[in-house]
Amino acid sequence: MNATKTELRFFTVPEWEKEEAYLRQRHQEGWRLVRVTFPGLYHFQRCQPEDVVYQLDYNPEGIAHKADYVGLFQDCGWEYLQDYVGYSYFRKARAQMAEEETIFCDNASRMEMVERVYKGKMLPLLFLFLFVILPNLYLQAAAGNGVLLVLFALALLLYLVIFFKFSAAFRRCREALSP
Amino acid sequence: MDAHIKKVYVPMTETGFYILLCLREESHGYGIVQQVQALTQGEVKLSPGTMYGSLSKMEKDGLIQFVREEDKRELYRITPLGRQVLELEMHRIERLYQNMMEVR
Repeated sequence: MNATKTELRFFTVPEWEKEEAYLRQRHQEGWRLVRVTFPGLYHFQRCQPEDVVYQLDYNPEGIAHKADYVGLFQDCGWEYLQDYVGYSYFRKARAQMAEEETIFCDNASRMEMVERVYKGKMLPLLFLFLFVILPNLYLQAAAGNGVLLVLFALALLLYLVIFFKFSAAFRRCREALSP
Repeated sequence: MDAHIKKVYVPMTETGFYILLCLREESHGYGIVQQVQALTQGEVKLSPGTMYGSLSKMEKDGLIQFVREEDKRELYRITPLGRQVLELEMHRIERLYQNMMEVR
């Protein structure tokens, strides 16, 4: 029962529900999550197949007050696994629940988590875009530095793609949650 | 009470209401979860993500305040502003209840 495996998966910022479903499915197949590491490596260990609900929270304030934050989840029966890029990972066996549980019991608090993710992940991205990439495009163009100009232009393109993908996903999320 | 607080908290979520109701006595997140479960005969089961988020938000808005730490759990208590908000919410719920009974 000591077999292990590692899978590489990428979930973009607003896809934590997909990630939760992926981890739950692996556990049902007899692979329990041991840890997640950069840049998206999921380490599993062989186990008895079991239906276990995985949940991700994004709460910087909770991570800052870790003992109290993690303690509350543990008191409520959730096992705390780790933090990874701002997300905290929790799990609880389905057999320990009367009915399907999640770590949020109303849509208002689910929406607040979406807002925290937005603030924590999207705003820094926008900041980088406005104050690093855009000025550099201008500076490198003015200096006639072709190589750097192309590099920053590529960065610009990449950022635009990520930004629009995130924005669209957040809008979908918002619409799904609003009453 | 400023307009922002009134707009955000009146009406408030069931979780928010139970937090203020319980924090007339000092308590921590899990204490509130247990108390609400007892008060509602297990019908309302508050989740930890919701509880933690609501406590942080209410503390930031000055409805509750941190009192002390006990066994790594942070204890809170309602503030005078929190009591005002709770009063408004209670009146609103009383009105709803009375109107409901009139047509029942």
